[in-house]
Amino acid sequence: MEGLLSGSTISVNRLLVAALCIAALLLSACGTKEVVVNGNFPEPLMDKLPLRLGVWYGDDFRNHEFFDEAKSRSESEWLVKTGDAQVAMWDTLLPGMFREVMEMRAAPAVGELNPVVDAVLIPHVDELQYAIPAHTSVKVYEIWMRYRYELVTSHGDPIAEWSMTAYGKTPTAFLQSDEEAVNLAAVIALRDAGANFATNFTRVPAVQDWLQEKWARSRRSVP
Amino acid sequence: MGSIQEVCTMITRLPSLALAALILSGCVTSTIDEMVFNEPTNGIGDASVVILGRRHAPDYETEPGFISCVGDHIMARDKSIQVMDELNFINALYPWFEPRTAPLRPEDIHKLVQQEAVADKLAELKTEYMIWIDGSTVRGDSAGSMTCGIGPGGAGCFGFGTWSNDSNYEAIIWDFTDKAEVGRVNTSATGQSYMPALVVPIPIIAPVQGTACDGIGDQLLEFLSSEY
Repeated sequence: MEGLLSGSTISVNRLLVAALCIAALLLSACGTKEVVVNGNFPEPLMDKLPLRLGVWYGDDFRNHEFFDEAKSRSESEWLVKTGDAQVAMWDTLLPGMFREVMEMRAAPAVGELNPVVDAVLIPHVDELQYAIPAHTSVKVYEIWMRYRYELVTSHGDPIAEWSMTAYGKTPTAFLQSDEEAVNLAAVIALRDAGANFATNFTRVPAVQDWLQEKWARSRRSVP
Repeated sequence: MGSIQEVCTMITRLPSLALAALILSGCVTSTIDEMVFNEPTNGIGDASVVILGRRHAPDYETEPGFISCVGDHIMARDKSIQVMDELNFINALYPWFEPRTAPLRPEDIHKLVQQEAVADKLAELKTEYMIWIDGSTVRGDSAGSMTCGIGPGGAGCFGFGTWSNDSNYEAIIWDFTDKAEVGRVNTSATGQSYMPALVVPIPIIAPVQGTACDGIGDQLLEFLSSEY
């Protein structure tokens, strides 16, 4: 009898767990779709600039995420966290572009105990727009970002400031979930950001002026 | 030079399978045009070929699946030809073959190889030919309707649906040594697919993209292989 009772208790518990699982599954379809962007980023193939560059990722950049701006963070249909992928991409890109890259311990400013570098790069994501098939009739996921870069001395004095855009899109593929498609669009946009930065860094007028001045100074100092 | 092929049948070993394939595949009409010169008469030796998709247009992008299909088609028919994987090539030469930075004309290769690191990598990869494929497959008009229901006795669908697919691709062959264009192959394919449903829906899919892949693959094989 006891055995029968315990057996029925177990089966009731199992039924309860199963019902809860089904309810959670159904309710999850109505909640926020969260994507933590994850991807592999290749090292750039280029002749390295003879510079010792520092990099500082602010908290807004390191924890960057986006959601539907028309709604609150908790009510948004999508929550896409790009911070880790941003840092991973820049940590791969910059050592391939510059002779030496060092991460700063603190935001560049007078009195901060930071490593001695030629300049410090501070990237920001100023604007991000995205489109999913629910927004457009086209079955394409798109992400567009506008970056703002600050190049400053290790004391925080400005050297250059400029903006660059990045774009990534992915079509809805068969057997590819919405989350995978958004992740892919974000990874493509990050690759594009890296490609744009790597190929245009030395063409930014203020950077060009600074580099020419720096190299002229180092030529003068060589006896 | 041009040829028109109509593909309505699939060749299989067993008659029953052939009949099933005939029933379950729609008709595809494809057109291929090619213009090539400076063909490597003795094949490409131990050099490699890379096939890349163009992805800089705002409204479409060449499907990565189509690029790998063409590469597999070539390698399956001539084992001596080494076609590099598209993603591996793009990653190895990042950031020079991204949609934003990829060379659009053969003359742009001159600028690219001025970078010592890029020139060394291309030499290491022994890239002799670079083939750019531009195009896409789109779904055209559709018609018909289908109703599905479920009840205590079972489930089923009733109705009829039909749609068309159109493929349009152009392959441009660049000779990496001479830094010049040495050929163009165009292929377009169109096909009608059907889905009749009498309790169970039976898809009769026209292999439009597959036909375009075979067409462009065969023409590229004629250019690259000494055996064809």
